[in-house]
Amino acid sequence: MTPLGTTPAADPLRVAEAPPPAPGSAGIGSTVGSNPDSPAGLPPGIPPAARPKRPHRRLRQVVWALVSAVVVAAFWSVDISWDSLGHAPARLVHYIGLMFGPPAWGQLPAAVSATMLSVAMAWFGTMLGIVISFPLSLLATRGLTPVWVRWPIRGFFAVLRAVPEVVIAVLMLSVTGLTAYTGALAIALGSIGTLGKWGYESFEAVDRGAIEAANAAGASRAQVMRWGVWPNAQPDVLAFWLYRFEISVRASAILGLIGAGGIGKMLMDNIQFRVWDVVGMLMITVVAITMIIDQLSGMVRIRIITGRWDLPFAARLRRRRTARATASAPDGTARAAASDPAGTANSEDRRKAEE
Amino acid sequence: MTTFPIAVPPPGDAPGIATRHPDEHRPWPHKPRTWPRALVIAAVICALTAWSAIAIQFDPATLIRNAHNASRTLVQLFQPDYTFIPDTAGALLETVQMAVIGTAVSVALALPISFLASRVTNPSTVVLGVARFIMNVIRSIPDLLYAAVFVTVIGTGAISGVFALVLFDLGIMVKLISEALDGLDRGGQEAALASGATWLKADRIAMLPEVAPSYISQTIYVFELNIRASTVIGLVGAGGLGMLIDKVRTFYQYHYLSTIILEVLVIILALELLSSASRKRLLI
Repeated sequence: MTPLGTTPAADPLRVAEAPPPAPGSAGIGSTVGSNPDSPAGLPPGIPPAARPKRPHRRLRQVVWALVSAVVVAAFWSVDISWDSLGHAPARLVHYIGLMFGPPAWGQLPAAVSATMLSVAMAWFGTMLGIVISFPLSLLATRGLTPVWVRWPIRGFFAVLRAVPEVVIAVLMLSVTGLTAYTGALAIALGSIGTLGKWGYESFEAVDRGAIEAANAAGASRAQVMRWGVWPNAQPDVLAFWLYRFEISVRASAILGLIGAGGIGKMLMDNIQFRVWDVVGMLMITVVAITMIIDQLSGMVRIRIITGRWDLPFAARLRRRRTARATASAPDGTARAAASDPAGTANSEDRRKAEE
Repeated sequence: MTTFPIAVPPPGDAPGIATRHPDEHRPWPHKPRTWPRALVIAAVICALTAWSAIAIQFDPATLIRNAHNASRTLVQLFQPDYTFIPDTAGALLETVQMAVIGTAVSVALALPISFLASRVTNPSTVVLGVARFIMNVIRSIPDLLYAAVFVTVIGTGAISGVFALVLFDLGIMVKLISEALDGLDRGGQEAALASGATWLKADRIAMLPEVAPSYISQTIYVFELNIRASTVIGLVGAGGLGMLIDKVRTFYQYHYLSTIILEVLVIILALELLSSASRKRLLI
């Protein structure tokens, strides 16, 4: 190791890898020692530029600079007095104490009946949305209808999806007044957008074979839809109808907050009158009811798709356990397969968050 | 039922057939009897629908009775007043500011929390369970409810909106990022741990670069969600376009309302195009 004596011994691996210096090039060691660019631990004989340069990505730098500028500008220009932020955590803790210490369980029966109204709103809205969107999404399916029918309907779906449900509800106020009925209609309109899109997407994804067979047997357009498309798409369509109902349950709670009745209205009234213990109880109720309905509807969805009765959270637990078991095994392919359902769950959550 | 031209042998023709089950000479299998089950399901669905219709006091007559009123509103709605656009600039700016700040704060907070909430990067079961539980609770409360509570606790304006957005995004971000972490290959991390790195260092060196693309893509996605959400949360007083919507709605200025909605539509669609384009670039 004497020829390498100039390098610190902190990095034995790299020292061992270094090629032995050629005899007669004894001067190199001294030049490296004096080279300020040489990183510590680099043995003599390897020029300082041995590592490839980092790629220079101009576009990426520009985008980063722009994004940072926008963020800084937003913080700097927004109408918020940042110095008052110091009190916020203490106040938050205070209010959380008021809400949950303890929640007013005496009001639970009223909360449950208000929740039932919310669920009724969601159910009715979803049913109405299904009844309207189903024929429309058939008409929007590629291969079944001409372009001039398809695109206007798709545009209609896109517009309905882009407008938040709450805004639709605000628009409908003048027609029906602020009632649970308005909420249901708003949910119906909102669900036409998503259901319509999911509908034509799954109709387009069906196997062409059955459609061709129906065409070859001389079926009319309606018959092609009934016997070529529907049997194939049915499980998916039923599953996402239920899935949309889950989203509608959340939406109906939100619509209540702007006055459309149900649990949301009860929450809003109690927030405005600052009855915090009731608010805490209502929050727990909303979360619990949403979770229960998700599980029930998820159970039916799993039954439709896989043919087994299974609670979603139990299925997820089992999936995780198998994923963990296979992760410890050396075989990487089994693990990849186990993590795939998690990927679909991921996209579901995204969908749900979008509503 | 159409009759099929396939020859069905009469029972007496072939010897032995009459002794079998009367249906067995059919050339196609017997259709399973599903109608009782279908009937039950249909009855349940009808009952639920009837119950919900009664509960919400479904009444098509109201719609017709208010048709005159509605038609006037609709006429106003379809004549958006574009001169109103300059007046919306302030609220629009506030919406975008809230969305930007909310996204920035929440993604900054979400990164360490998602490392805590993923089994792959957090060796401690207790911390993992606590982090996941808290995030589940935070995620299950809708954004508008956060906004309503913060408006009462902190006060009207953008600050409540930012708080609501941060909490709302945090739930989504942590869930998506920690699941992305769960699906990662642990080779680099194991190598780092084997060479004596602490968990913190191993996660930083081996896992962070791997999760970075999906982190950036989810950030864009959350920003998109925020623009949508921040137009809505103003309806309960949390600043931005929603507050303006609430104002013009109380004064029945529907031609202004439709202008605002058009603006929201344009922004959301533009943002969707931008984000899908940039996410595609990230993934390739």
